[in-house]
Amino acid sequence: MRISRNLVQAFRGLRLNKGNTFLMTLGIMIGIASLTVIVAIGEGTKSKVLSRIASLGFGPESFSVYSGAGRLFFGRNRNVTSMTLQDADDIRAMPEVAIVVPRQRKRMRIINKKEFTSTRVYGVSPEWQPARQWKVVDGTFFNDMDMERKRKVIVLGATPAYNLFGEKDPIGKKIRVGQVFFEVIGLLKKKGLTESGYDPDNRALIPLTTSMSRLFRQAHLHSMKVVSIHPEMVQKTMEGVTQILRRNHGLSSLADDDFRFVTPEGIMQWVTESEQALNRMLFLVSTVSLLVGGVVIMNILLVSIRERIREIGVRRCFGARRSDITQQFLFESILVSLLGGLMGAILGWTLSTALRHFDFLPVKITLDPFLLAFIFSMIVGLIFGIYPARKAALLSPDETIR
Amino acid sequence: MTTLKVIEVNSIIKTYKSEGLETNVLKGISIAIDEGDYVSIIGPSGSGKSTLMTILGCLGQATSGTYLLDKEEVGQFSDRELSRIRNEKIGFVFQAFHLLPGVSAFDNVMIPLIYCSKTPKDAKERVERALIRVGLEHRMNHTPGQLSGGEQQRVTIARSLINDPKIILADEPTGNLDSKNGIEIMATFDNLNEEGRTIIIITHDSVVSEHARRILTLRDGQIASDRINENFKKPRAGFSRVATQ
Repeated sequence: MRISRNLVQAFRGLRLNKGNTFLMTLGIMIGIASLTVIVAIGEGTKSKVLSRIASLGFGPESFSVYSGAGRLFFGRNRNVTSMTLQDADDIRAMPEVAIVVPRQRKRMRIINKKEFTSTRVYGVSPEWQPARQWKVVDGTFFNDMDMERKRKVIVLGATPAYNLFGEKDPIGKKIRVGQVFFEVIGLLKKKGLTESGYDPDNRALIPLTTSMSRLFRQAHLHSMKVVSIHPEMVQKTMEGVTQILRRNHGLSSLADDDFRFVTPEGIMQWVTESEQALNRMLFLVSTVSLLVGGVVIMNILLVSIRERIREIGVRRCFGARRSDITQQFLFESILVSLLGGLMGAILGWTLSTALRHFDFLPVKITLDPFLLAFIFSMIVGLIFGIYPARKAALLSPDETIR
Repeated sequence: MTTLKVIEVNSIIKTYKSEGLETNVLKGISIAIDEGDYVSIIGPSGSGKSTLMTILGCLGQATSGTYLLDKEEVGQFSDRELSRIRNEKIGFVFQAFHLLPGVSAFDNVMIPLIYCSKTPKDAKERVERALIRVGLEHRMNHTPGQLSGGEQQRVTIARSLINDPKIILADEPTGNLDSKNGIEIMATFDNLNEEGRTIIIITHDSVVSEHARRILTLRDGQIASDRINENFKKPRAGFSRVATQ
């Protein structure tokens, strides 16, 4: 009963001191808004990475070997030319290996008359299709004959096909890739954008031999996809691949690998690690911002108590206990924090939605940060309200009334 | 006639210490005040009037001496019990009114009821009765800024009456008012005393002190004189007993 009356007095105090209330709210509001936006960006980035992994088309029995040292998709050196077709042939000869797809890759501009678009052009062997298990909806995939004759044929993903031909049938048409004309012989099945906006359909495939001798004019490979005969053989296969590549590239026992593996486990591990790092950063940022907000509340409450010393005196004269004054100011602090938390959550939600709307950053809005904001702001209000509230309560009544 | 002593103060000493310097403000004061009496405490500034008021009002404690309020020894009380005493037994009226700014007259009068157990309906009726009692029934929803000085002081009187206290303790109640409003306020106190309430007015204004039955004069922290006012309840020139009903 007494508590609820003190709560009502706290509401009144906040209403009557709008300026101070606004300033106190501001600190928490900014803290919570930044917290929710950062969490939304973090979640967005995570889901982007995860969907990207899914779109890479890894089965449990397959992995990739990329040219150049480094980790996963991040090569330390872009100009490593050591990986060759010989490597692919040697790996294919291993008993544990079912399929090897050697790859070259370059982002290029492809042109149909006046229409043009930029896409990732892959030079691959015909085993690419069974390895990826990606259907061709129109026309055919290129075969060993196309490889052997270095034919200038191309299979388009859905995105470049639409960009160049719209709804028209592209099969049999000639398009220009760089300075070389290719005939479109196939159209890959559309997979659609991933949740985070990565487009797996934005690709075009040509025979590896054609890309080596006619388009990219380079002999080294960008990467290889290796499919093992059984998921349990993957580890053993990777060891064999390492031996072959080190031997073929003439690396001494002291030298580092000049290639790197991309495996589903490796990616998952990397995602987990980066997620943990991100979470640590989030925790730090949110703690600091909420601490700042809390200190702002504490300072303004202390000033406010000086300003409202008469009010405290009057309340004490007419029967308020120390505990009543403590409760009132503590309630004010908590209410102001909750209000700031609410406004911050609304602001954060608005900003996150805007970021997603304008496709500025990957953003995923989840409920968690808003629940956290509620709890955090309440705790901040409680902790940073205690000192000013006690200070107000311990003022002696005869000093406050003079 | 045996009357109940509502206040009994014995050899009260109050000493303030600041930076190692001791200042004796009250130097052994003893007073006994009967229930229903009308007392004014008069004295020049620095005589210890305000300090005596804080002690009588249970806002501060004496350095030594005893204080019996309504037969209870106040010196032994904790903060919680002192709060209860202030809430139930004392009604304060201040020179500077001390109303909460921005809060309606109704809610200002309500303040003492926040800190005692009254049902909301009962509280509302009491506040309305108190405001009618001081003639402010048409100003209940006005904030202090919208009220004149005299009206504000009447709100503080209503606030002091709300819990039906034994004693009304007024510190320079007319100090911030013009003479017309001052006369009205003093008439209100006169009426309250006629109804049987104990009133203690602290003032340095001899015109105000002449309203009381008993006049105590304080000088240098001691009682210099204690006399019965011979003019008490005699019609005063220029003063009219305005019924504030």
